[in-house]
Amino acid sequence: MIKKMILTTAVLSLVLLTGCGQTAPELKEGSNNNITDASALTGDAVSINENTYGNESSSMGNSSSDGFQSVYFGFGDYGISSGMESAISRNVSVAGQSSKKLKIEGNCDEFGTDEYNYALGLKRAKVVKDALESQGISPSKMVIVSYGESNPICSSPTDSCYGKNRRVDLRLIK
Amino acid sequence: MRYILLLLLSLNLFAVDAKLRIETDVEHRTRIALVDGSSVVNTKFFKMLLSDFKISGHFLADSTQHKEDFSSNFIAPALKSKEYVLKYKLDQTSGTKLIIRLLKASSGKELFKKSYAIPSHAKAPFLAHKAVSDVNNILKYPSVSWLNRYVVFARYTSAKQSEIILADYTFNYQKTLIRGGLNLFPKWADPKQQSLYYTSYAGVIPALYKMNIYSGSKRKIASSEGMIVCSDVNRNGSKILVTMAPQAQADIYEMSASGGSKKRITTFSGIDVNGKYVDNDSRIVFVSNRLGYANIFKKPINGRGVSQVVYHGKNNNAVDAYGSKVVYSSRVSKNSFGNNAFNLYLTSSNGSGSRPLTTTGTNQFPHFSSDGSVVQYIKHRGNSSSIGYINLKSKQSILFPLGGKKIQSIDW
Repeated sequence: MIKKMILTTAVLSLVLLTGCGQTAPELKEGSNNNITDASALTGDAVSINENTYGNESSSMGNSSSDGFQSVYFGFGDYGISSGMESAISRNVSVAGQSSKKLKIEGNCDEFGTDEYNYALGLKRAKVVKDALESQGISPSKMVIVSYGESNPICSSPTDSCYGKNRRVDLRLIK
Repeated sequence: MRYILLLLLSLNLFAVDAKLRIETDVEHRTRIALVDGSSVVNTKFFKMLLSDFKISGHFLADSTQHKEDFSSNFIAPALKSKEYVLKYKLDQTSGTKLIIRLLKASSGKELFKKSYAIPSHAKAPFLAHKAVSDVNNILKYPSVSWLNRYVVFARYTSAKQSEIILADYTFNYQKTLIRGGLNLFPKWADPKQQSLYYTSYAGVIPALYKMNIYSGSKRKIASSEGMIVCSDVNRNGSKILVTMAPQAQADIYEMSASGGSKKRITTFSGIDVNGKYVDNDSRIVFVSNRLGYANIFKKPINGRGVSQVVYHGKNNNAVDAYGSKVVYSSRVSKNSFGNNAFNLYLTSSNGSGSRPLTTTGTNQFPHFSSDGSVVQYIKHRGNSSSIGYINLKSKQSILFPLGGKKIQSIDW
């Protein structure tokens, strides 16, 4: 008799506690569920100011400096146009006059998303580095970094403005 | 031609959009009413509960904020047509305390009671998410624990300046983790969201760091000339996919989580980025311009052979994956500039079963939830930006407004 009761209770409990897909499942009413938790939410995340570590990016200008000329690119493009060859020649001349290392920064307009835009900026910086190397600048003297769309010098919603952001900047590393 | 027409028709038939979505299968969702029993009524908190119930996909919540005594089991006649009534009491006089009672609407009988207490005011949204997650669990619906997860994102503050922010999924809670300098591409390092990877531009070349968000301790994993980004973390957190350019060429590498060893996976002379693990971490999908435009490809991690996953669009520049599911953004307008329309598409790692998830606006940065059931994305329409969520099973979608600063990268 007791065994039957236990078996019946177990079967009934199973039926009551089993969910039924998308329809509202029945619950065992009046069950005691007084619980206090949410301990996972009590930890407080840190807040760090990286400027205290002497940030390289914040100490640099937002365009070419030290006598270099920026090199501009077409939409989605990473080839040097014939109109930019004079800027390359000028940059070769300036780089040749300094013993300091040259930083070549690739930049993009805002029409791209995260990683792809940074890779596009990298391709632009690389093609300028290759152009300088082909005219005698040692590759060991140059370092390239992509800044993606993070370094705009123009924010108006015009084609000419976007064009100013698709550029490679050059500067000497301080 | 006939197959192309059939494909286009099928793509449109399954379109889901935040604005145009027609709520279907209403009768299959549980009808629930929310009754505020707090001494100070908080409409914002009510709306958070409402949003949580909606995006869960399991509930049809009454959008009226009812008010009543918290302790009583009285159910107003108008609410007896619901299946359940959730009574709640929020108290923020000292920290945040929340008590919830789930009552059967027909009888007023208490089915479930739970209390929550945290020292923070700002984290109140997490109590709403936790409460709804618990109600969902007690009613034995599939887990919606992704409600409780942190979102981490980077946003630009000015030229070469950004900040990395911690948020709840609605962005009602936000805390700046890292400010100052240029710090980008935050990516959760472990399932419990204790640590994250991010790219720092503090040095001459970019470096990948791993930081514990509670202790602030951080460690350099690797650095690379050109760029370095942690794109994905495998399921147990032991390996990461990194886009880096040690020879000034952006390719995808797999690294141990400590940065101790690395293996080059792609070797294309153009752009290969955004690697994501698929198919039990045996393959990756990624974005490449190897056909002359950004598109989605896949490749085995321990083998040769790259295959195309997506066969439409001329600019498919972002991808995420869960299991064998793949979500990507695709530019559908031909303009070089201006309000380009990007839509999100869901497909599989073998390219089958493609369907659009959005049909209007600019929709980018797609990310799967931790269980692959929901897609998070950023939507730009007109002058406004929102963070959006699409529940893939219930087809519920929801948008939360964002501030004006441009989001650079996001992870959930």
